[in-house]
Amino acid sequence: MSTAFHHRLARIRALVFRHESLLLLILLAEWITFSFLGRRFATWENAADILRHSAEIGLLAVALTPVILTGGIDLSAGSLLGLCAVIFGKLWRDAGFPPTLAAVTAVAAGAVGGLLNGSLVTRLKLPPLIVTLGTFSLFRGIAEALTRGTDTFTNFPNTFLFLGQERLLGLPTQAWIFFLLAGTAWLLIHRTTAGRNCCSAGFNPEGAVYAGLPLSKIQTLAYVGVGTVAGIAAVIYTARLGQARADAGSGYELLAITAVVLGGTSIFGGTGTIHGTLLGVAALAVLNNGLVHARQPRETAGILTGVLLLTALTLTTLAYFRSSRKPSRTQPSP
Amino acid sequence: MKPLSREASLVMVLGVLLAVLGFAAPAFFSPQPLLSRLSMEAPCLVATCGMVAVMLVRQIDISVGSQFALCSVLAGTLASKNLPTSLLVPTVLLAGTVLGGFNGWLVAILRLPSIVVTLATMVILRETVRWHQQGALLNLPADLQWFGLSQSAGQWTLIAAALLLTGILAWALQNLRAGRCLYAVGSDPEAARLAGISPSTTKALTFLLCGLLTAAAALMNLVQSPQVDPKSGTGLELKTVAAAVVGGIAISGGRGRLWGAALGLLLLATISPALTYLHVEAYWEKAVQGAVILLAVILDRKSSATP
Repeated sequence: MSTAFHHRLARIRALVFRHESLLLLILLAEWITFSFLGRRFATWENAADILRHSAEIGLLAVALTPVILTGGIDLSAGSLLGLCAVIFGKLWRDAGFPPTLAAVTAVAAGAVGGLLNGSLVTRLKLPPLIVTLGTFSLFRGIAEALTRGTDTFTNFPNTFLFLGQERLLGLPTQAWIFFLLAGTAWLLIHRTTAGRNCCSAGFNPEGAVYAGLPLSKIQTLAYVGVGTVAGIAAVIYTARLGQARADAGSGYELLAITAVVLGGTSIFGGTGTIHGTLLGVAALAVLNNGLVHARQPRETAGILTGVLLLTALTLTTLAYFRSSRKPSRTQPSP
Repeated sequence: MKPLSREASLVMVLGVLLAVLGFAAPAFFSPQPLLSRLSMEAPCLVATCGMVAVMLVRQIDISVGSQFALCSVLAGTLASKNLPTSLLVPTVLLAGTVLGGFNGWLVAILRLPSIVVTLATMVILRETVRWHQQGALLNLPADLQWFGLSQSAGQWTLIAAALLLTGILAWALQNLRAGRCLYAVGSDPEAARLAGISPSTTKALTFLLCGLLTAAAALMNLVQSPQVDPKSGTGLELKTVAAAVVGGIAISGGRGRLWGAALGLLLLATISPALTYLHVEAYWEKAVQGAVILLAVILDRKSSATP
C-alpha cells in the first residue's frame, strides 16, 4: 500500500486515540444513558441548568490548566473564591460600594491573592503544593475572620442577581462570561507564544530556562490568572446563590483539579489542552446532573467521579507507556 | 554560625509560645483540659507518622482523612454488632492496610501520580461512607470507651501509645535498613534502584504502612467518644501534611525527621487553644495556621539558601 495511505491511517488513529476523543465518547454515553433514565434530562431547560451550575468550577478549571501545564498546582483557588465573595459582600453592604465597583475590587483582590502564590512559588522557589496548602488555609481563615464565621451577606439588588439567575440571549448570563474567558484562554494557550511557553516550561523546566524562556514570569502570570478568575467566579457564585458566606467554594479546588486531570492535562505539566479541560468539566457536570435526574443517591456522583478519574488516568498512562516514541520522564515530586 | 536544626527551632518557638501562655493565661496549663487536648491529638500524631513515611518517598496521600472515616465507621458498625474487641481491632487494621495497599498498588505498580490517585480514592471513600451512613451517628457500646479504663488512665494510655509508636518509627527510620530505604528512594529513586532497592516495592509498602497507621489512628480516636461521626477525619490529610511541612519534611522526598513532624503537629495543635486563651477570636485559627505553614517553608528556604 502507498505511504500516503499509511500516513492518513496514522493520522486517523492519532485522532481516535486522543484523550479528548475518549472524553467525548464518555460524554456521549452519559448523555444517552441519562436521556433514557431521566424523564426531564434531555431538555433545553436542563442543559441551561447544567451550564449555570458548572460556570464557576469551569472557570476555575480553565484557569488552573495553565498552572498545571507549567508543572504547578493551586489548592487555594476555592478558598480564594470564598475570600473574594466575602470581600465583595462586605464592600457592598458595609462600605456602600455599588455592586459593579465591589465586583471589580473583589476581582482585584483575587489577582493579589494569585500574585502572592505566584511570587512565593517563583521568587522563593517554594514547592507550589505547600505554598497553596498554606494559602488554602490562610485565605479561608481571613474570610472566616472577616465574617466571624457566621456573617452572611444577602438581599443583593435584582440588577446584580441577573448575572447569576437570569438569562441573556437564551443562555444563562454567566455562561457568556464563561465562554468568553474559556475562548480567551484557548487562544492564549494554543495560539500564542506565551501559551506555547507554558507547555515547554512544564515539560522541561531546565530546558525552558536554557532556551531563554521567562519561566518565572510565565508561572507568576498563571497563578495571577487563577486568582483573578477566582474573583470573577466569586462574584458569579454570589449572584447565583444570592448570598456570600465565608465557606463559599469549599472543595471547588479539588473539583476543578479533577476536571483538569480528567481533561487529559498531565499533573506533572507539559501536556494538556483547554478544550480537554472543558470536556472534563462537561463530563463531570453532566454526570452530577444526570444522576439527580435518574433519581440516584447524591453520593453516586462523587463515587463515579473518582472511578472515572482513575480509569481515565490508567488508560492514558498505559497508552503513554506503550508509545515508546515519547521520552521517558522520571516522576517528579507531587 | 551553624544554623539551628528544624527540631531545635521548633522547640524554641514552642517554648516562647508556652512561656507567653504561662504569663498571660496560666489557665492553659490546668491539667485536665491539657490532658484532654493532648489525647485528642494522639490519633493525629499516629496519622502524621504515616504521612511522613509517604512524603519521605516523594509521594503524598490525601486520602488519609477518608480512610480514617471509613475505618471509624467500619469499627462502629462491627462494634454495634457486638464483635469482641479482640477481633474488631485486627479487622479494622486490616481494612486500613488494604485501603493503603490499594493506593500503593495504583501508585507504585501502575505508576499513576499519587496526588491524583489519592484525590480519586479520597472522593470515592468519603462518598461511600456518606452513602452508607447518610450522616447518621453510630452509637458505640460503653465497654469500648477508653478500653474499659477510667478516663484519665485511658487518656494517658493513648498519649503513651502514640508517643511510643512515634519513637519506635523515628528510631526505625534512622537506623533500620527498611527505614533508610525510604530515604534512599525519596532522595533518588534511580540511585536507589542501582543500589538494589526496589523503588516500586518500597513505595507500595509505604502506602500500606500509611493505611495501617491511619486505621490505628481511627481506633485511637474511636475510644475517646461515645459515638462515631461519619464526617470524622475531614481535613486530616491537610493537618498531617501541614504538621510534616512545619516539621521540616521536604515535599520533594528524602529529607526530614519524624520528631520534627511530631513537634510541628504539637505547635499547630497548640495554636488554636492558645488563641482562645489569649482572647484572640477563634475565627483567626485557620488564617494563623496558614501563615505558620508559609512562614515555616519560607524560613526553611532562607536558611538553606545561605551557605
